Amino acid sequence: MKRAYLMEMNVLRGYATSLLATGFLVTVLVGVGMKTAIVAPAVLTSMCFMMGAIGSSVYDDQNGWGSYRLTLPVSKRDVVLSRYAAIATLGLIGSAVGFAASLAVMGLASAVELPGGLSELLAFSGERVAGMAFATAACVLIGSAVASVVTPVYFKFGQTKATQLLPTVTVGLFVVAPMLLGNSGILGGGAFGLVAGLLTFAETPVGLAASMAALLAASLLMLAASAAVSLGLYGRREL
Amino acid sequence: MASSSGALRLVEAKGLVKRYPGFSLQDVNLTVDAGEIVGFVGANGAGKSTTIKALLGLIPVDGGSSSLLGVPSEKLAQPCGASVKEQVGVVFDTVSLPEHLRVADVGRMLSHAYDGWDGSLFGKYADEFGLDARKQVKDLSRGMGMKLSLACALSHRAQLLVLDEATAGLDPMAREEVLDILRGFVAEPGRGILMSSHITSDLERIADRIVCIDGGRVLFDLPKDAITDAMGVARCRKSDFERIVSSSLIPNDEFRYLMHDYGIDVLVPDRYAFSRAMPEIPCDRMTIDDYLALVLKGGVR
Repeated sequence: MKRAYLMEMNVLRGYATSLLATGFLVTVLVGVGMKTAIVAPAVLTSMCFMMGAIGSSVYDDQNGWGSYRLTLPVSKRDVVLSRYAAIATLGLIGSAVGFAASLAVMGLASAVELPGGLSELLAFSGERVAGMAFATAACVLIGSAVASVVTPVYFKFGQTKATQLLPTVTVGLFVVAPMLLGNSGILGGGAFGLVAGLLTFAETPVGLAASMAALLAASLLMLAASAAVSLGLYGRREL
Repeated sequence: MASSSGALRLVEAKGLVKRYPGFSLQDVNLTVDAGEIVGFVGANGAGKSTTIKALLGLIPVDGGSSSLLGVPSEKLAQPCGASVKEQVGVVFDTVSLPEHLRVADVGRMLSHAYDGWDGSLFGKYADEFGLDARKQVKDLSRGMGMKLSLACALSHRAQLLVLDEATAGLDPMAREEVLDILRGFVAEPGRGILMSSHITSDLERIADRIVCIDGGRVLFDLPKDAITDAMGVARCRKSDFERIVSSSLIPNDEFRYLMHDYGIDVLVPDRYAFSRAMPEIPCDRMTIDDYLALVLKGGVR
């Protein structure tokens, strides 16, 4: 799988750079709007996961690259697993860059008195770092969920058909399903209370560590399940 | 795996069947042995690319079997068979690379793909072909794109080349250059080439054997010399045609002719014997194009 992964990263190098640049711009705008630096890793993480999953699939159908790639010494399994590894890598790069940028802003705000009371809003604090870490882990879950849905669709149908289908799939999974669940009363009963309780628990040091571990484990599980589906779908696909 | 002649068998297809709505590959048999260049010809949509895809394991087949370097084609996309593709260089009829990559990126990427990748050899071919390392794939002309694809296929010391219309889009000088490289490639022991092409003059220069497919079936599989050296085309008038028919010089089952406004072309299996028997009827050397026209479109007795 190593060679397929290195090839994938080679293909995605230019896209990753532009994705990070765009993500950084979005992060700055969101951060300024919310007057906080703690959103940076969360925004960059979710963007890199989602756009990484979509962007990396685009090249498969370009000039017959998907077919040609399988004439190289890689298997379909290598192609699928390296895609997920590349998506996770992009997400982690997004997190790392976001964290580095946030910590740099916090450090600057702590060291120098910034105008307009910004130092007070942005200065380094343990609470802010904890919030940043939790938000990032939550965004890893959201990004993984989107990547887990779109990647098998791309592997099954290819870019053109998948791009036509994905809006319907997205609306079905992320809008209609929650709406039906809401109307069914399942969420109204104890679910919101449960979420509120979990968020309160996450504010404690043990709760933060446990909830982050749970979020990351859930992300890994989702990606693993999605990869298993993709392996089956891509294994049967004619190229 | 060895052929009946003892040469190493690089490609083997036995009774390949693949069904699509409106088109089927039917009972396709094909071999390429070490030391051979096999030309694969046929009209558009005849089944050349489908056969090549089946050989490369890119599509599952509905019947028959095939193998590359002894590994069944269906294993080539699986972890157990992928490594044999180290020894195979493939060129499709378009430059099959993401278009944002630069020529240098392509070399870097393929150095990760092949253990046997030779970066200096790739650089040498890139120089010979006039490929600018900074140019993106999308900015290459069709001809330059094909040169890049050929450079990729030739730079990892493959044993087998599978070329699908690889010389399409190349100018005559570049084609000559590529044909020289392919001759040099196959001169090394244990190597072979399967080459589909519409440019039959290229195949006349380098192929050892010609396999023709039409409507999904292999129509003939002949040594090239049997076509271009032994056979001929008699350029007849109507009266000459009737004399040839009545002479029984050409066996009935081999008789093929094509009517033109200006005369009739007749397939002559042995042009030397024909010229001795009927010296007054001009008999030209057979080209692969002539043979294809006579076999695919010609009338029979």
